[in-house]
Amino acid sequence: MKPNRSVITRISETISRLENLTTLYAFFFVVIAVLGLVTLPFITYHDDQLYPKTIDPNSSLNPYDRGGVPFGTTPVKAQYPENSPYVGYVTTYLTPLSHWLADHTLHIGTTIVAHPGGIIDEILYNTRGLDTVVETSILFVAFAIASYLFRRDN
Amino acid sequence: MFNLPTGNIGGQELFVLEFGDIVNYFSPYTAALFVFALIFTVLAIVSRPERQVDIAFGGDAYGAKEVSIDLMRFQRFMAIACGLATLGAMVSGDVFNFTLFASLVGITNIGIVAAYRNRHVLNAAFQYGIVAMLATVPLFGGAAIILASTGTLSMWELFADGVAVPIIAKAFLVLGVMGEGMAPFYVAKAEITRAQGAPFILMVHVSSLLLFLRVIEIVISM
Repeated sequence: MKPNRSVITRISETISRLENLTTLYAFFFVVIAVLGLVTLPFITYHDDQLYPKTIDPNSSLNPYDRGGVPFGTTPVKAQYPENSPYVGYVTTYLTPLSHWLADHTLHIGTTIVAHPGGIIDEILYNTRGLDTVVETSILFVAFAIASYLFRRDN
Repeated sequence: MFNLPTGNIGGQELFVLEFGDIVNYFSPYTAALFVFALIFTVLAIVSRPERQVDIAFGGDAYGAKEVSIDLMRFQRFMAIACGLATLGAMVSGDVFNFTLFASLVGITNIGIVAAYRNRHVLNAAFQYGIVAMLATVPLFGGAAIILASTGTLSMWELFADGVAVPIIAKAFLVLGVMGEGMAPFYVAKAEITRAQGAPFILMVHVSSLLLFLRVIEIVISM
């Protein structure tokens, strides 16, 4: 016969098992995601976006066309323009290969952006430089872990 | 600019560090967390790993576990990276930048514990890794909802009275940090602490605790 256990004992026994950790987190996640779906109609899109995104289907750089003149000044929105005096100065510069690709086809905009030196642009990154540093650090740490685990038996 | 919209949570800012649109700030609260993280980062840099001693119960036998130099170096590197990520997250003045630092803390925490061969520790690290991966969805989803509904990411703007941040975005942010830093999930941490190498393992705890304190400040101020 099992002793009469309280609710708290049973809950604490469940969450003390390591195998239930992912389930527990997923449960929280689902609860909050459902709440999010319910409240989603009440969230309004703010029209005055700091980082706007436009899509121009006729551009060969679609969907990554950021506009602008190479090495000219382009108007770029910034939260604090006084912190980025050179914002929009260098923008959307294509390497010769990318330029050739962009001139001849309308369908490989993603390829142009994805290959090294595709679009060198500073519209977003000039104002958010620290983000770029941290993103690269995350990748670097991930590679460091993978290479350590792969090579430790040698 | 040099006047935080809400001074009631962490007090007025003492020092401001500008990276373009990302403006980091030191208020008494964030500066205290920063100093705390700095102390533990320095400790991770200068200290040597502990050696665990297993004592056989009821006898004189004992065994010392050795920490190999390779493992020690890798863990020290990961612990220092984790400390730097925590330092960045403590003073970050931008929501997306904060989520990136939180994500970096999560992956370095996995790196600290993943290098062991102990079965229990690896089991815990595996579960923790799954949760940390899952947590990136609400973490960055929260930042994305904040950007879409308010049009900005800077905390200087978001802390002002007129800006209404949806409560679901805050909930996503807290949930994401919970998953990355594992602050409330101490069951996994108890397993992780079985691993040897004390000062580096402790970085896991310090970083997640500080991260959680910081996200609470952000959520209350918004």
